[in-house]
Amino acid sequence: MLEVRELEAWYGQAQALWGVDLSVADGEVVSIVGPNGAGKSTLVQSIAGLHRSTRGTIAVDGVDLTRVPAHRVGDHGVALVPEGRRVFARMTVHDNLVLGAYRRSARPGLADGLARVHSLFPRLAERSSQLAGSLSGGEQQMLAIGRALLAQPRLLLMDEPSLGLAPVVVDEVFDAIRAINADGVSVLLVEQDVERALEVSARGYVLAEGRIVASGSSAELTGSALVRRSVLGL
Amino acid sequence: MTTLQAALSGALVGGMFAVMAAGLSLTWGMLRVINLAHFGLILVGAYLTFELATSWGLDPILTIVVTVPLMFLVGAGLQWAFDRLGVEGFASLLVSFGLLIIVMQTVSNVWSADFQRMEGDVNPYATGSVSIGRFVFPAPTLIAFVFAVVIVVAADQVLRRTFAGRALRAFAEDRAVASAFGIDHRRLGMVLAGLSAASAAVAGMLFALGNAVTPSTPFEWIGIVFAVVILGGIGQVGGVLLAGVLVGTLSAVVSATWSPALSPLVLFSAIILALLFRPHGLLTPASRGAR
Repeated sequence: MLEVRELEAWYGQAQALWGVDLSVADGEVVSIVGPNGAGKSTLVQSIAGLHRSTRGTIAVDGVDLTRVPAHRVGDHGVALVPEGRRVFARMTVHDNLVLGAYRRSARPGLADGLARVHSLFPRLAERSSQLAGSLSGGEQQMLAIGRALLAQPRLLLMDEPSLGLAPVVVDEVFDAIRAINADGVSVLLVEQDVERALEVSARGYVLAEGRIVASGSSAELTGSALVRRSVLGL
Repeated sequence: MTTLQAALSGALVGGMFAVMAAGLSLTWGMLRVINLAHFGLILVGAYLTFELATSWGLDPILTIVVTVPLMFLVGAGLQWAFDRLGVEGFASLLVSFGLLIIVMQTVSNVWSADFQRMEGDVNPYATGSVSIGRFVFPAPTLIAFVFAVVIVVAADQVLRRTFAGRALRAFAEDRAVASAFGIDHRRLGMVLAGLSAASAAVAGMLFALGNAVTPSTPFEWIGIVFAVVILGGIGQVGGVLLAGVLVGTLSAVVSATWSPALSPLVLFSAIILALLFRPHGLLTPASRGAR
């Protein structure tokens, strides 16, 4: 599905990622954990085509996306749930979801996609005509996930979906990730909540100071002393 | 009686300001381009209507069949250049002011600096009027108002209900995330700027229908049209019609009851007051405008 090789990224002169290698297989949930400032968001933004100062390859099903403009990346089956949710606050919940299916190839699936998202998050159906900006943080996160699902992705990039949410809502979000994955969608999950992330994923990578410092099955990483030190600071 | 007549006529004149303001407001709100050249396009639109009606004998209203597609291409091309050169925000204000001056000078070279007005034999609408009860409405302002309603309602519906409209609103809010959902800002921006310029062609036709025009006429529009854009809420096309009608009415009533000279003073004082209470436009409550 996704193969990232030797990825480097810069902000001007400042390098943010060094030689990052990672892969996500079809139908897999893979997490990337690491402390603040490790480069997790830069990595996700690079894959989504929103950060372009990179070297190396980002291939989806063998097609290199590093030269593909951001608005074409979705054509290859990639959708983004951005950090901080970034729903379109002055548009209604319904319009946010419809916009998820903006791409021509996604439009025929609009009705089915809306039904799926409404069954996943019934609260979005109730709030359909409200402005997205008036939703609670948890509801906005659900909307951001729903919007990405309407793009009918095969790979969902999720950047810190639990950030700033109440514990009850975090449960809902992780339940949703399981349900989405059960539909056959691969997920690359970037999270600060290490335990939860490793619970939901089969494999994980630890990113610290722009480098992959550990990788393995979630069980291995959960017990690893390195993870506890570098991410949790214990 | 005369005050009421003035108020109603003023409201209709406000329709023309709304047509002038609609495109300006949309490109400002959606593309962050404050396009003063828009007034140059309106001016050229007015002169083209004059020329096509006078030399070719076309019905003045039908001249938009020629000017609208032409202006669409000009507007789209201009936006293409702005986008390539990274002209937006304050820079766009300066660059487009330069363009406006160039357009005005060119118009002056082509059609001279004298007043031009379509004669009665080519412009059957100039002297027509419609009486409703005891009120009389000149045909040009009535026509302008009808166009204003049609253009504003159409634009509003497109923005609300179509994929392209939603894409524009999304793009105005968050460009990066919008592009992640497949929104190609270059193409969409050119279409919007093209439509905005097409509305300038219509505004020019509407102005030429009832007024004489000179190359420096845009300076008479800028103040009022900017007031309409800001009062209506930048990027809010429905607000433009409401603001246009209010501005037109107020300015006509002050002219009729006090003096035309006082009209700008009262008008702009009222706008400052309105913006104190509704800084993001008449249709947006102050608390909701915060981003």
